[in-house]
Amino acid sequence: MPALETRAVSIAFGGNLVLDRVDLAVAEGTIHGIIGPNGAGKTTLLNVITGITPPNSGEILLHGRSIAGLKAHRIAAAGIRRTFQTSLLCKGMTVLENVMGGLHAKLRAGALAAAFGLPAVWRDERDAAEAAHAALAYVGADALAERDAGQLSFGQQRLVEIARALIAEPRVLLLDEPAVGLSPDRVTHLDALLRRIRDERGVTIVMIEHVIRLVVDVCDRITVMNLGRPIAEGTAAEVTRDAEVIEAYLGSGAHAVHSGA
Amino acid sequence: MNAFTRLVAVCFALAALLPLISNRYTLFIGDAMLVQIILAIGLNLLVGYAGLLAFMNGALFGVGAYALAVLHDGQHWPYWLALPASGIVAMVIGVAIALPALRLSGLYLALATVAFAQFALWAFTHWDAVTGGPSGLKVTPTDFYPFPVSSETGQFYLSLLVAAAIFWLTRNLLRSRIGRAFVAIRESETAAEAMAIDVTRTKTLAYALAALYAGIAGGLFAPLLGLVVPESFDLFQVVFQFAMVVVGGMGSLAGSVLGAALMVWLQEGLRAFKDLQEIAFGGLILLTVLFLPGGVAGLLRARFGWREPLHRPTQRHQPHASA
Repeated sequence: MPALETRAVSIAFGGNLVLDRVDLAVAEGTIHGIIGPNGAGKTTLLNVITGITPPNSGEILLHGRSIAGLKAHRIAAAGIRRTFQTSLLCKGMTVLENVMGGLHAKLRAGALAAAFGLPAVWRDERDAAEAAHAALAYVGADALAERDAGQLSFGQQRLVEIARALIAEPRVLLLDEPAVGLSPDRVTHLDALLRRIRDERGVTIVMIEHVIRLVVDVCDRITVMNLGRPIAEGTAAEVTRDAEVIEAYLGSGAHAVHSGA
Repeated sequence: MNAFTRLVAVCFALAALLPLISNRYTLFIGDAMLVQIILAIGLNLLVGYAGLLAFMNGALFGVGAYALAVLHDGQHWPYWLALPASGIVAMVIGVAIALPALRLSGLYLALATVAFAQFALWAFTHWDAVTGGPSGLKVTPTDFYPFPVSSETGQFYLSLLVAAAIFWLTRNLLRSRIGRAFVAIRESETAAEAMAIDVTRTKTLAYALAALYAGIAGGLFAPLLGLVVPESFDLFQVVFQFAMVVVGGMGSLAGSVLGAALMVWLQEGLRAFKDLQEIAFGGLILLTVLFLPGGVAGLLRARFGWREPLHRPTQRHQPHASA
């Protein structure tokens, strides 16, 4: 059974069909890349999976259980966490508090218990802070813990967002262009981090990415989208050979990528 | 305990000494400050922390005051029972307004709360059978027997106790997952949902708390004035409340305490110039927003390097877009 599956998922905005019966099956414990030109519907697909914009039709399954139509916060609680194309960390909170925010649904404190500062609530808070430090250390950003989230560089924001997603121990992690704007060094760091998340934590990763070097290197499988539809799927070697993909997306530069990979 | 909390704790401790050295007038001002502190904390929770623009707190303050007058003087409930009941009445009405309004987006939500505020003012003025109409309702001074205090002194200590308790409870709440959820929905509802935060529920909680605090403040205010009349809860009350929160510092609990004390003090200074008050407080909001966006609390953070959890950042310095 795939960890995450979409069946004939469609969505239209104002008569414009953005996703057109998209079938996608992501195998458990793999890193699955989604590539395609701008406007292919990649981010829309992530928004549909996470419940931000529910699909007009189609089925979405998390480990075989239907999640289409659930509210976004329920889908997140069910084990799908994501990062955003333009990082959405909460300014005004420290990095540590942001990451602790990822545990919201797992901390059960009610408003009354929290207001009266019951010992159990503080114990949970302490544990949450510890877990947040651990998650930050895991992505290599624990030195930033006390910084205000509004003061981070682009690359730092990315790592903190990943830590905020990871702390909830998701089954599926969706990353929307995690490497955009990163220096080559940082892309290498991200590459290694994604492998560790997959191998050590068994998290299934779906990643939209334009940095082809990263996609080709780290993804177990790649789906190529164009105009709201998947047009090819396979390993990096397979999709970069695919004539339709070369035509739609990679253009004439594809041969260089292919021979390089 | 951070520096802000220590400062507020010291203020409350000093306030406890006020009845020893004050006359009736200064005690009245002190009590009014405490009542406004409760209001400011509630409004800041809603606007500063959760980022929800709403203008119904002035009206709910009135609902609390009228509820107290009706239950205490009309129905002869003991004050210790009528006071929490006033808070609950305001909370129930606040949530009843908020629940349908929460489906609306920011601007429409704000408009819905303005409409409610106007409607409430109309009801205070014209629903004579309950509110006594324009002449209002009398409220008898609270009897604090068996405590050996005058009703003014007793009322002051009760307000101090309630204000300090609300400050402490709200501080704890904000430092828990619920405070983080408030800030998360303020910064981005989409991100909050992706963090498994139930946005509607969290917003409803923010409204319920602000309404509860406003109702309790109304219940403490009514015996202080001795008379509950509609014009205490008109547009000026809304402006005044926003002045407390903005001048004190949006998204700063300690700022609410300082802002409320400051604004009540200023209002007393302007008592001789009643027509100037609305202009003065409106202008103060404008000046603060333009030149001191973090308010007094922001000034203290910048001047002394004080840390404050979950404060609302001032938007002057944009984070670097690339690195």
